[in-house]
Amino acid sequence: MAAAELHSDRPTGLGGPSPRAWLEVRGLSKAFAGAQALVGVDFDVWRGQVHGLVGANGAGKSTLVRCLAGLVTPDAGTISVDGSEVAITSPQAAQRLGLAFIHQELNLVPHFTALANMLLGRPKRKRLGIVDWRASRRDVQGIVDRLGIAFPLEKRVDELSVAQRWLVSIGRALIGNASMIAMDEPTASLSPAEADRLHEVVRELRAQDVAVLYVSHRLAEVLELSDTISVFRDGRLTRRATRGDLSRHRLVEEIIGRELQPEAEADAAERERQQRVADQEERPRLQLRNVHRGPLRDVSFSLAAGEIVGLGGLVGAGRTEVARILAGVDRPEHGEVLLDGRTKQWKTVAAAVRDGVALVPEERRTEGLFLDRSVAFNLNLADLRPLRHIPWLPLLNGRRARRRARDLSAQLGIRMSSISQPVGSLSGGNQQKVLIARWLTRDLKMLVLDELSRGVDVGARAEIHSLVKRLASEGTSVVAISSEVEELVEFCDRIVVLSEGRVAGEVAGEAMTTANVLSLCYADRDRRMEAA
Amino acid sequence: MTNVAQPIDDSPLGPAPGALRGGAAVARFLLIVSRYATLIALLVMCVVFSIHSPRSFFTVDNFLNILNQSSLTALIAGGLTVTLIVGEFDLSIGYAASLAGVLVAGLMSHQGLSIPLAVLATIGVGAGIGAVNGVLVAKARINSVVATLGIGTVLVGVSYTYTNGQPIAAGMPLSFLNFAVTKFLHVPKPMLVAAGVLALLWAIINLTDLGQRLQAVGGNAEAARLAGIAVDRVKIFAFVISGACAALTGVLLSSLIGSGTIAAADSYLLAAFAAVFLGSTTLRDGEFHIVGTVVGVIFINTGINGLSIFGVPTSYQNIFTGGILVVAVGLSTVTRRYTTR
Repeated sequence: MAAAELHSDRPTGLGGPSPRAWLEVRGLSKAFAGAQALVGVDFDVWRGQVHGLVGANGAGKSTLVRCLAGLVTPDAGTISVDGSEVAITSPQAAQRLGLAFIHQELNLVPHFTALANMLLGRPKRKRLGIVDWRASRRDVQGIVDRLGIAFPLEKRVDELSVAQRWLVSIGRALIGNASMIAMDEPTASLSPAEADRLHEVVRELRAQDVAVLYVSHRLAEVLELSDTISVFRDGRLTRRATRGDLSRHRLVEEIIGRELQPEAEADAAERERQQRVADQEERPRLQLRNVHRGPLRDVSFSLAAGEIVGLGGLVGAGRTEVARILAGVDRPEHGEVLLDGRTKQWKTVAAAVRDGVALVPEERRTEGLFLDRSVAFNLNLADLRPLRHIPWLPLLNGRRARRRARDLSAQLGIRMSSISQPVGSLSGGNQQKVLIARWLTRDLKMLVLDELSRGVDVGARAEIHSLVKRLASEGTSVVAISSEVEELVEFCDRIVVLSEGRVAGEVAGEAMTTANVLSLCYADRDRRMEAA
Repeated sequence: MTNVAQPIDDSPLGPAPGALRGGAAVARFLLIVSRYATLIALLVMCVVFSIHSPRSFFTVDNFLNILNQSSLTALIAGGLTVTLIVGEFDLSIGYAASLAGVLVAGLMSHQGLSIPLAVLATIGVGAGIGAVNGVLVAKARINSVVATLGIGTVLVGVSYTYTNGQPIAAGMPLSFLNFAVTKFLHVPKPMLVAAGVLALLWAIINLTDLGQRLQAVGGNAEAARLAGIAVDRVKIFAFVISGACAALTGVLLSSLIGSGTIAAADSYLLAAFAAVFLGSTTLRDGEFHIVGTVVGVIFINTGINGLSIFGVPTSYQNIFTGGILVVAVGLSTVTRRYTTR
C-alpha cells in the first residue's frame, strides 16, 4: 500500500514529468577509439512505464544500454537509481540494483530445465547446499502466475519455443527482483501471434510497476507499446516523446534526421507509376500458371511491368519457394513461368539473369555475399563483361571496375571506409544495398527480393524502399517478401498472400491492410483446425 | 582494417558475457606471423644449409638446380591451385602426368608423330581427363575426392595397357630428349615453361573476369550461383586447367628422364598438395594463390635438396614432404578458422 502511494504521482502511461524518475541518467558520454558513441545523454525511466528506445544502428542506444548493464564504463556523467547516485561497474552490480537485461540470444542454458534456468545461480538450498527443488518451485509459482506461463517448468529450454524462452528469461529477471527489464529486439524471431503474446506480457509487467526498456527496430510495436520514446541519433538523445506525440512517419524522420521525400511529390511519382501499372494490366510482365513444387500447390498469379507485388504469408507458407521459382533458381515440377508472354524454363540462374531476372536472396550472409571479399568484388561480380578492356578478351579493366563500384556505392549511399573493405564488416543495411546495387548495371525486367530489409535499420530501410520504388518506376517489376506485414502494406501495390503452399488471396488498394493480410495468412490454418 | 565502428555493435547488450573472446589480439598477432612463417622458415633453412655446407649448397648452380627441380612441381601445383580455388580436389593429377609421360613417348616412337603434334595431343588428352573429372564433379555431383581418385586409378590402368608395363625409351627424337636438359639464355628450359604457364595462370586468376568467377565459386558456391555465375562451367574449366598442367608436367618429365616410364610422376601428387596448402598460408590467410604455391614448391625442393646434401637418404624425402603436407593443411585450416567470422 505504502509503495503504491509512493508512486502515486508518477506519470501513468500518458506521460507528463514526474518529480523523480526511478532511473536517472545525466550527461552520460562515451567515446570509443575517438568515435563519440554517446554525447551528454540525459535519460529517465519511470517504474510502471514502457520506455521505447529507437535509432539507427550505431546511433548510441546500444552504448547507453551497455553502460546501464555494466558492460561499458562511461567517460562522463552520472547514473542514479531510486534517488541515489550509483556506479555500475559490472553486470553483477547492475543486477543488484534491480536492472535486468535480456539479450536477443537469451542467455539461457539449453539443456537445463526452464525452472533451473529461472533460478540460475540462486535456487533454494537445503542443508549441505543441496538444492531444494520443491521449495524453489513454490517460490517461482507467484512469478509463473504473473507471467501466465502455461508450459511445464520441467521442460528443457531447448525444447521450448522462442517465445517461451523469452518468458523464462523474464521470469529469471523477476526472481532477481528486477525493477527494470531491458529487452533487445524481443520480437525479431517471433511469429505475429507470439509477438502479440509478448506484448501482453510487457503490458502486464508495466501494470506490476516494473519499468521496461524496449529496444526495437519495429516501429509499429514501439509506437503501440511505449509510454515514452527516446530517439537516438549520432550519439545524442535527439527526441523525447510521449505516447501519441509522433506518427510513424515523423518517427522515421526523427531517426534518420531528415525529412522523407515530400509526400506530395512522392504521390505524383507514385500515381504515375500506378497509372502505368494499371494500363499494362492487359499484358503481364510475368505469370505463374498452376505451379507445383515441394509445398506449393497450384500457385498462379501475374505481375505487370513496374508493379510492386508483395508475397505475404507465415513461415513455411511457401514464399521463399515462390521467390526461387520466379528467379529461375528452382524449376516448377508442374506448371509454367511466363516472362513477357513466353514460357521460360531456365536451366540455370545464369540463364534467368540473362533474361533480366534477378534475386536478392533471403540469407544475405550465406547466399548473397562473399563476406571476406571486398565491397568492390561483391558489387561487380554479377556483371563483369562490361568491365573488360576489349569486349572479346576476358581481361578486366581494374580502373573501370573500381570506378563502377564507387559510382554504385555513391548512388546508393553505401556507407563504408573504402571499396576494398571486406563486405562482411558493413552493417546489415549497407550489405543489403550492396546486394541490390549488384543488379543495377543490368537492364532488369524483374527483381525478386526475398526479405526486403530484414535486420536493416530504419534509415537504411527508407533508403532501400525509395531505391526499389525508383527501379520500379523505370519499369522493373518487383516481387518483395518481408516477415513484417506492415512493411509490405506500406511498400507494395498489391499483396499476394500464401497459406500452406496455396494462394490464399490477394489484397490491393483500400483492402490492403495488416489485418486483412493476416486474416488471409491464417485462413487455411483456421479452416483446418475447424475441420479437425 | 578500421575498427572504429566495432564497439557500437548491432545488439545493444553486446555479446553475451562469456562470449567475449580474450585471445583475439593474440590470435591476430599469430595470424600475421603465420603469413610470413613459410618465408621465414625458408630463409632459416637456407642459412642453416649454407653454414653447414657453403661449398655445395650456397652456390649459383645449386640454386638454379633447386629452381629447375621446382619447375615440374610448380607446373602441376599451379594447375592444382586452380581446382583448389574453386573448392574441389584433384587427386588424379599425378596419374594423369604419368600417363602423359608414356603417351608422349609412345606417340613419338610408336605412332611416329612429330614432337609438337605429340606434345599438343598429350596436353589435349590431359585437358580431356580434366573435363571428365569436371563433368563428374559439377554435373553428376560426385564428390571430387572420390571422382578424381577413381579416374586416377583408371588412368593407371590405361598407362599399363598402353605400354604393356614396359618403359618406352627407344625411338624418341633427340631434340625432345635434349629439351629438358638444355638452357635458353642460361636458364633451363623447363623453368621458362613453368614460369610462362604460372604467369598465365596468375593472370587468369587475378586479371580476368573468369578469375573473379573462379574465386567467387570457391568463396561461396551458392552465392555465386544466385549471382548468375555458371558454377558448373567454372568448375569444369578449373579441372581442365589442372589436367592440362598435369599433362605438360608429364611431358617435361619424360624429356628429363629420357623415357616414358609408368608411374614416373605419381609422387608429384603429394608434393603438389603439400606445396599448394603451404602456399595458402603464405602472405594470405588460408587462401589458395599462385605466388604462394610457387613459394611452397621452392620451400619443399630446398628442403629436399638440403637434406640430400646433409647426406640424408632419399627415402626420407617422403617423410619430409608428407610431414609438410600435414603441417600445411593444419596451418591453412587454423588460419582460415580465425579469419572467417
